[in-house]
Amino acid sequence: MRKNSPMPAAMPTLRELQRQVHQAVLGGDTAEIVAAIRGDGLDPAARIGTYRNHFFATLGGLLQVTFPVVCRLVDERFFAYAAHEYVRQHPPRSRRLVEYGADFADFLADFEPCESLPYLADVARFEWALNIAASVREAAPLPPQALAEVPTSEAAYLVLRLQPSLSYVISPWPIDAIWQANKKSEVPSVDLASGDARLEIRRTGDAVAWLRLDPATFAFRTALAGGLVLAAAMTAATAQSPTFDLATAIEQIFAGGFAVAYELSSEQKSFQPHPVDLARKEVS
Amino acid sequence: MAVVTAQLPASSCSAGIGLRSLHVAGITATQPRLGFLEVHAENYMAETVALDYLLSLRRDYPVSVHGVALSLGTAEQIDRVHLGRFKALVERVEPILVSEHLAWSTIGEVYLNDLLPLPYTEESLDLFCHHVEEMQEALGRRVLIENPASYLRYRHSSIPEAEFLTEVVYRTGCGILCDVNNVYVSARNFGFDPIIYLDALPIEAICEIHIAGHYTAEDVDILIDDHGSRIAEPVWDLYVAALRRFGPVPALIEWDTNLPALEILLDEARHAQELADACCHADTA
Repeated sequence: MRKNSPMPAAMPTLRELQRQVHQAVLGGDTAEIVAAIRGDGLDPAARIGTYRNHFFATLGGLLQVTFPVVCRLVDERFFAYAAHEYVRQHPPRSRRLVEYGADFADFLADFEPCESLPYLADVARFEWALNIAASVREAAPLPPQALAEVPTSEAAYLVLRLQPSLSYVISPWPIDAIWQANKKSEVPSVDLASGDARLEIRRTGDAVAWLRLDPATFAFRTALAGGLVLAAAMTAATAQSPTFDLATAIEQIFAGGFAVAYELSSEQKSFQPHPVDLARKEVS
Repeated sequence: MAVVTAQLPASSCSAGIGLRSLHVAGITATQPRLGFLEVHAENYMAETVALDYLLSLRRDYPVSVHGVALSLGTAEQIDRVHLGRFKALVERVEPILVSEHLAWSTIGEVYLNDLLPLPYTEESLDLFCHHVEEMQEALGRRVLIENPASYLRYRHSSIPEAEFLTEVVYRTGCGILCDVNNVYVSARNFGFDPIIYLDALPIEAICEIHIAGHYTAEDVDILIDDHGSRIAEPVWDLYVAALRRFGPVPALIEWDTNLPALEILLDEARHAQELADACCHADTA
């Protein structure tokens, strides 16, 4: 019942065959896999080429949808070239393609042909943050009263978990202005010397919003988002502005519904904190 | 192992559509008559807004969960973490049908984002069956395996695809998701008769049919299964042939790229339903 087809001299194991297909799909050498493919009336190289084309086209298309302004800034042809190189060097490691492109900005930062556009990688970071905020669901915010249980002696080691849709992006370029300008059909000019941007991006209800933050608030929230204890976040903020007011900063965190959970860190206890007075930040 | 066979609720409508975020608002607002909605499992494996929409629509429509990245054909172990996520989703959504593919897509940590063809050999048959059993055991239910659309065949394949799939059914107790567009595409790409392929599949195992669009590659005479256009007439004909052979089973309009307006998708689903109704009517007349 089983048909015997002509076989190549050595029949590859499944593992070996899949390694050969993998290599060919990523644009590498195809000699081995071509020898294992039946022509069926066509060049076997064209057959495996169909899979290679699909791989690069679908992932390149996905990146274009995720980074539309980056694409516009460099034009579609150059974007396709950059995306192809990125896909070749960084094929997906996750089966959930919504996660693909997380390090595209880092790739662009080191991609020599993009050197003349120094803000490009930061625009990509901003677009990735918008993408996260558009897809991730808001978690239930932590009520400020929750912190009443935290003993004053432990307050410095408090770690606040923030909304999963939140991202913080800093750039020496006005990337939000660049992004906005390039969403319009007629791109207005953007003064690249108009300064840096410290941006907070999040989902609010059904919309995605971003805000420019002052340096101290940005440092504080970035530290919290990075999982640092309250005392470390305060140190980072005070380094930006000696007049940084912790009580107000924490009030804003709770008023905005940013915090979703908290824990007390035992790992970060070696950190020598500023004294933190939780009583001052009670919010009614 | 205990095998649970999910059944569609008693309904005269058995044609469904793939759920895409573009159409969520339209479906919610107009509540079109549909047998079921099908989702790609991998799009709902995180706490996203899309998952909220799905869980909401779940109240009004039966849902089918279609995996595209479990890589059951891998020569390596299947990814237990991913299987765990799959199981969690199935527990949450309680789908009427769960399906995956006769294909592979991962090697090491790399996900090749495609349903790559397997060589049909005794080695791959053993491995594939082992992975299907692992999936069914993890989920505690029967899964359906879909026949692939292929653009190449390997020289050392020694088992015809339909026979391979049938053997998987006998060894694992899984069902078959028969994608008639895939049968058509592969038949054209390799020059076999699609009817003979359908005739080789075990009737009792067919639990779902997929119908989709395809196109011809620009540079080479290969049909590509892209789910990006209206269903071609010969594929509708093959669908009717499948209905005659397999009886009325849930049929899905698969449209994943170049997404059309919801109305066009519903129009395709209506047509699939009319053809199914006509077939049933002919059977009972």
